[in-house]
Amino acid sequence: MKNAAALRWIVVFAALAALPFFLSGYYNDVYRKLLLWIALALSYNFLFGISGQVAFSHFAFYGIGAYSVVIFLFQLGMPLPVAVLAGILVCTAIALAVAIPSTRLEGFYLALATLALAQLFIVVLNEGGAVTGGTSGLVDYRLPPVFGVRIAGPWYTIVIVVLVLATYAVLLRLDRSWFGRACRAVRDNPEAAAAMGINVARTKVIAFTLTSALAGVAGMTYAFVDNTVNPPIFGLENAFLLLFMVIIGGAGRHAGAVIGATLLYLLPFLLSPLIGHHHALVFGVLVVAAILLQPRGLVGLWRSSR
Amino acid sequence: MAILQVTNLSKRFGGLTAVADLSFEVHEGEILGLIGPNGAGKSTTFNLIAGAHSADAGEIRFAGQGIRGLAPHQIAARGVMRTFQHNRPFDGMTVLENVLVGAHTRFSHNPFSRKAAQEESATRARAAELIEFVGLGELREAPVERLSFGQGRLLEIARALAGEPKLLLFDEPAAGLTLAEAERIAAVIRGIAARGIAVLLIEHDMRFLLPLAHRVVVLNFGAKIAEGPPERIRADPAVMKAYLGEHAAA
Repeated sequence: MKNAAALRWIVVFAALAALPFFLSGYYNDVYRKLLLWIALALSYNFLFGISGQVAFSHFAFYGIGAYSVVIFLFQLGMPLPVAVLAGILVCTAIALAVAIPSTRLEGFYLALATLALAQLFIVVLNEGGAVTGGTSGLVDYRLPPVFGVRIAGPWYTIVIVVLVLATYAVLLRLDRSWFGRACRAVRDNPEAAAAMGINVARTKVIAFTLTSALAGVAGMTYAFVDNTVNPPIFGLENAFLLLFMVIIGGAGRHAGAVIGATLLYLLPFLLSPLIGHHHALVFGVLVVAAILLQPRGLVGLWRSSR
Repeated sequence: MAILQVTNLSKRFGGLTAVADLSFEVHEGEILGLIGPNGAGKSTTFNLIAGAHSADAGEIRFAGQGIRGLAPHQIAARGVMRTFQHNRPFDGMTVLENVLVGAHTRFSHNPFSRKAAQEESATRARAAELIEFVGLGELREAPVERLSFGQGRLLEIARALAGEPKLLLFDEPAAGLTLAEAERIAAVIRGIAARGIAVLLIEHDMRFLLPLAHRVVVLNFGAKIAEGPPERIRADPAVMKAYLGEHAAA
């Protein structure tokens, strides 16, 4: 039983890790970004779908992770492991600062506070002068060698595969534990959850902080995909795309996050030859259809068809 | 031994006195019924003990320690669990998962520690026993949406028991149930008291409560008007007067 599970993880890892060696540079780039979207959608699903927190800051934390690792490495000259740890600390500190006051209030205030954070982040990036590189961002850097080895090409894609699988493993373990059940209980019925001895505010803060830190780590990995970070990448458009991915795939289910992220990331590649850049229109129709017809998303559709 | 001691408890809502200078005790393994006509202050008393309301004056001691002013989750963690009059299951979960949520305060290992898996499977086994105990064994893996109202009430009880309470608070457990379902609930409550757990029951229906309770406290307009074994309460003139016209059966 336990060995079978371990074997499954190894097979999935081997398949995902082997793929980039068969892809050209362009498709390798598409593949890397798809994996990053999946990692983000998985952690956002835990925050939005499982914990029921309507937050718009997830993509901003992705940006905070990306920017902070680049700033720590190249502006402050920290070694890589220190820069990564410092980046996680920054994400955690900001997440706590946002979550602690807003989870004490009704859910609506979390939406407002996180929307404000996402906007503020873009303002700080644009006005950050030499530290953030202003509107053009930070460019011309490369991942420093790790133990004397330069990780590039398909090998760096494997780093992203490890990130996705590690994110999934962490979230799966949490979801199947007392903590995951507490998150769902708080989402469904906070008063009954409190009567079961669950500290509602604390559960929300932990879920928010943990998933935001995971988004930050994904962002750090992203920083060396394009080797540039700039404000437009981390704008609200992508924050909403992430929300759409989770809703269309099926909020509350890991498979839904994977399906939603894959579909919405790849759809523009298929649609743009047909309708140009109007794919946002198709996304909008899909979201409305998902909310009206199948609130459990594509995963729900598949489950009810069986 | 008294596990719960309520002393001179008072609560006002604006100009209305909901609970006035109320004192009573509940002992281990005892079923104490708290009754009274509508608006007598039963629910307020219940909510004060469970931490949903905060008292204006008086003391609530549980296992020798003051619990007045604690939040509901802190009171639950100390060993006071409750059921809801209107069932409040966690939708989208199975019966077993609902009961596991009730065991929340029994988990002490973080989900990534090596002992977590062992703790999880031990707690699952205990939850399955409790589901058996209330008689929902066949529905253990069923989604809660499939339960009838009466079965949902039994789930409320199993979920509360999973927290390993020393005191269990029931908010009108027979409300909305058929006679057969109410008898089933009464049998389960007797079984709980037989395990040494103290039971405090808020009830409106005397026909359900009097055969079940070991001792009864009667409230009217927030104050205690009688206390004693059910046989004496049945014959008490003050109780008759408070209920007159409302519950001829009493």
